[in-house]
Amino acid sequence: MTEITRRAALGAALAMPLAAPALRAQSLTKMRVSVLPVLDTAPVHAAIAQSFFAGEGIEVDTSSTTGGATGLPGLVAGQYRVTFSNTVSTLLGIREGLDFRFISGAARSLPQPPDTMAILVRKGSGITSGKGLEGKRVASNTRNNIVWLRGMAWIDKTGGDWKRVTTVEVPFPQMADALAGGQIDAGLFSEPFVTSALETHGDKLERIGWIIQETAPASSIAQYVAMKEDLEKNGELFERFVRALHKGTDWVNAHAGKPELLQLVANFTRVPLERLQKVAFTAYPKEVSQPEIAEMIATMTKFGLGGRYPAPADLIFRTAKA
Amino acid sequence: MAGGTVAAPRGFRPTSGLLLVLSLFLLWEVSARTGMVDSPNWPPLSRVLVALVRDTASGEIPMLVGSTLARMFAGLAAGTVAGIAAGLLFGASTMAQRILGPTVELIRPIPIPAVIPPLVLFLGLDNGMKITVAAVSAFFPLLTNTAQGLRAVEADQIAMARTFGVPGWRRLFRVTLPAILPYVMAGLRVALALALVTTVVAEMIAGEQGVGHYLVLMQFAGRAEEMYAAVLVLALLGYALNRGFLWVERRSIAWYFATGRDG
Repeated sequence: MTEITRRAALGAALAMPLAAPALRAQSLTKMRVSVLPVLDTAPVHAAIAQSFFAGEGIEVDTSSTTGGATGLPGLVAGQYRVTFSNTVSTLLGIREGLDFRFISGAARSLPQPPDTMAILVRKGSGITSGKGLEGKRVASNTRNNIVWLRGMAWIDKTGGDWKRVTTVEVPFPQMADALAGGQIDAGLFSEPFVTSALETHGDKLERIGWIIQETAPASSIAQYVAMKEDLEKNGELFERFVRALHKGTDWVNAHAGKPELLQLVANFTRVPLERLQKVAFTAYPKEVSQPEIAEMIATMTKFGLGGRYPAPADLIFRTAKA
Repeated sequence: MAGGTVAAPRGFRPTSGLLLVLSLFLLWEVSARTGMVDSPNWPPLSRVLVALVRDTASGEIPMLVGSTLARMFAGLAAGTVAGIAAGLLFGASTMAQRILGPTVELIRPIPIPAVIPPLVLFLGLDNGMKITVAAVSAFFPLLTNTAQGLRAVEADQIAMARTFGVPGWRRLFRVTLPAILPYVMAGLRVALALALVTTVVAEMIAGEQGVGHYLVLMQFAGRAEEMYAAVLVLALLGYALNRGFLWVERRSIAWYFATGRDG
């Protein structure tokens, strides 16, 4: 190739734009919230649908993170102002030095059955307790989250050694098939997957335990979390946010079991309405208490997730205090 | 060329690939209906088609497809422009190749889905991130093919143009670039398929956009019919894009195929 052509090619190369577009726009009262398409986030959706956020001058934009665990990393990165997260994952982040603070309660287990989480086995497997699961494969959607922790606690409580159980990660939608097909020996299910597994595989699968209710009734499941720095700078905004969120919580609690709530949940989860009618719901608390966080840290420590945790009182923002 | 000819088949031939596709669809229907595969996550094709028609008629699927395609084409365009530019630089300058080559070769084999979570940190969850993912996927096939094409431009063509006194910039646009076009088109075809896949994967991982998010949402809602409807849509989309591309390619570089070469 000649010098001139080379120069021309170089010129053409440099003239062409290289940068890919990055589109971002934010306004002051717009808040992006990371949620999961699960029953537990009904209050956020109720507060949007009932214009409670709008009443506080906030426009909430929800982003669901079904496919990947982008909720807490997105919060750290400033993509979200608020993230719905299970207590274990939040505390593990805090242990690693991330400044998450609880701004509101989200989901808590009921004091008596039904529970939103259950352990299922194959019918005829003879497994009825944690003791029977030693040396077996137990599926959890993710390791080291609330489902896994309460599952291990249930195995421990029913006579098994959780360290002798092999945990495998299987997404909730595939868990019933994996269990019925014999790839796993037990599955730690969360609603609505408990109901759908028993509905579709009822001839093959059975529930042998309510994993939260039997180990820690009325205990912490999930909260709404924000970053400490953001809370210090914009405390008033978060007060307005939580005020609207709690109106949503009141709405959900007032409509428990009613068609309006089921329709709201069906709209954002896309779970068929007829299945939702059979599903167990959690309790929807507004506050986060020091004892529930202390209990969680103690349980995490017992099951290998110990470390240096700040005092629970330091982790609860004023909007979550009773 | 792997995709076969563009011309529509005239009349049915027993060797038509369509026969295999129809057989597989039939196997799908039979396996679900007879209990060969006994799972609510394996619905019969007929029910999947019902869901597909319903959600298409409601406008939901066309809207999702539109948004996915918009992101994919935006990324493809950015990646193509950048890839051709970098390819020209690589092909024209051995120094550029020496300096940038190792970096490009290190980045090229990284599976894009593996870097989506860190990309979220820098680019967020919306169009910016997804378009960038598609652009990066499209970038490398264009880069390598353009560079290879530039090196393969026949010296005689350049020499003749020079003999006729064609100035450098005109030689670039009238001789060099048309000569490398078949290479660029081959790279673009690979990039097109990659961009669709990575756009959908990015949608599956983060945010609430496009066919990818719909697919995962339906999976978590236990709605297997709708989930497979999305899978079918993606299969049809990929097929249509490839056929469309071949059509464009045959027309844009007809002279290349006229010489008896076949891509």
